[in-house]
Amino acid sequence: MTVSDLGNGRFLVVDEHRNVIVYVVGTPGRRWAFLDGRVVREDELSPGPSVARRGRPGGQKDITAPMPATVLQVLVTPGSTVARGDTLVIIEAMKMEMPLTAPEDGVVRDVHCRPGELVQPDAVLVELE
Amino acid sequence: MLKRVLVANRGEIAVRIIRACRELGVESVAVYSDADAHAQHVALADRAVRLGPAAATESYLAIDRIIDAARSTQADAIHPGYGFLSENPELAEACERAGLTFVGPPWPVIARMGSKIEARSLMESAGVPVVPGEAPEDQSDAGIQDAANRVGLPALIKASAGGGGKGMRQVTTSEGLLDAIRAARREALGAFSDGTLYVERLIRDPHHVEVQILADAHGAVIHLFERECSVQRRHQKVIEETPSPFVSPSLRDRMTSAAVTAARAAGYRNAGTIEFLVEAPGAGGEAQFYFLEMNTRLQVEHPITEAVVGVDLLHAQLQVAFGTPLPWTQAALSQRGHAIEARIYAESPARGFVPQAGSLLLYREPRMPGIRVDSGFAEGDVVSVHYDPLLAKVIAHAENRDQAIRRLIAALRGFPVLGIETNVEFLIAILEHPQFQAGNVDTAFLDRQTDALAAAARGEIPGAVRAALDAHARGSSAHSVPGSAPDWDPWSSLRRGTRM
Repeated sequence: MTVSDLGNGRFLVVDEHRNVIVYVVGTPGRRWAFLDGRVVREDELSPGPSVARRGRPGGQKDITAPMPATVLQVLVTPGSTVARGDTLVIIEAMKMEMPLTAPEDGVVRDVHCRPGELVQPDAVLVELE
Repeated sequence: MLKRVLVANRGEIAVRIIRACRELGVESVAVYSDADAHAQHVALADRAVRLGPAAATESYLAIDRIIDAARSTQADAIHPGYGFLSENPELAEACERAGLTFVGPPWPVIARMGSKIEARSLMESAGVPVVPGEAPEDQSDAGIQDAANRVGLPALIKASAGGGGKGMRQVTTSEGLLDAIRAARREALGAFSDGTLYVERLIRDPHHVEVQILADAHGAVIHLFERECSVQRRHQKVIEETPSPFVSPSLRDRMTSAAVTAARAAGYRNAGTIEFLVEAPGAGGEAQFYFLEMNTRLQVEHPITEAVVGVDLLHAQLQVAFGTPLPWTQAALSQRGHAIEARIYAESPARGFVPQAGSLLLYREPRMPGIRVDSGFAEGDVVSVHYDPLLAKVIAHAENRDQAIRRLIAALRGFPVLGIETNVEFLIAILEHPQFQAGNVDTAFLDRQTDALAAAARGEIPGAVRAALDAHARGSSAHSVPGSAPDWDPWSSLRRGTRM
């Protein structure tokens, strides 16, 4: 397999029987590639823990904001028992309402947001245990 | 003709309107928020006026500021695009007061069609079929409960001021009824400041088929056939096509004439769309269709109609607004070939379609025969969190449906968008799904298949991708210019210098 840099993010990859153009852009560790409708992020090559819902030692789980958003409704309070899939918080971003759900059964340990609040990406909204 | 049109919108539709103005020799005025100071529509227009901060309520939804911008630039008309203020009768009314032409229907028509209950009763009296249901005088919980029981379960509780699925709840059992009524009312009050509810019988797994209509100021009302818009997730359209593979010629005749009747009953003017729910026929029976709502504006998916009917709806809108009679008669219009549109959203299908924001590090629109791309972005642009995540629309037109599907898949496979997660792979997975290819997709399809489709979009990482990523890593370490091509490109460095 040989690779030629055609410039402007285009790479010609020549396999035994096939030529393809792969588009690549980004900075070290945060590169993106595109081939024939498929998008690959560099961090997929060596999958690590998911950023969205990091598990912590002791069986705790944080529910975090996936993006800058406004909190519309908080449906749980500390001590609430929740089942996997239950909606904990409803946020709104880019005109869309989005329910954030419990990744597994558990008890709400703490709530760190209230309706109307603007939250930043990865801010912990609800702690589960 | 109009001399100067203010475009009260952003993104791809603003670009579309500005280009149409240019073709017709009409000057265009763009408006923008602080988040859009460097947006494509701003650079493209003849003039541009800042409205205010990024928040839509202080910019694209601020009627006073938009009217002021039109006055200060001596515009003689305002085109609202879709979304934002396009279906707010207050903008159209403010235009009238300010002596400006509103490119759309008269404001009382917008107001009447905006009330789902009023629109329903108007259609019923005009003989257009509506979904069996009831809009009770008694708006108490008990009153709505009684209405739901008369209509029969399963039913939909809907907000009169509703749209986009807000203020709507499906009820299957009488135990869930009270909760559904309260939730729908709460949502409707929050979103529209109007908690008026009505009840409709639930049409199971319907098709969503709409008819484009156009009416001029001289009494002519014509239709431009149907669009099939059943590929939806959470009531948001993703893929649209025309002709509908589900609609027979006789059903088409009935639906298009009902749409013209509806537009006449509404006293409509300019471009509008009548949305219908179509219920699959029972054994030996004919398919039933029901009026759902009227959209008193241009639709996102208007390009597929333009492709198949061979007209320019933006030109027609501007001509009608100026008072010119419609340039075509009904008999002159026909459907030729097949067109499909795919909406490219900055969103993550694998994570519940969460909208994405960031920089378009690499963005190359496909160019090939029969492909049209309407977009409001270019490489290097920033997609912000403040507005709708629609990046672009890719429209394929071909001789028949199979070819249009192939063409659209080929275009999406040749449309690299990097730096922000998009739904491109998800769209390809839908277009390749046997049920879509069979033309047999109802509005429940996508919500049922989302997980499978999102998974189908992923798979083994091709060896060529790994090889190219390696090559890029070697190149950037050698040249120490992160993210750029190793060979020096005057255009990319110029872009970097001017944009950032």
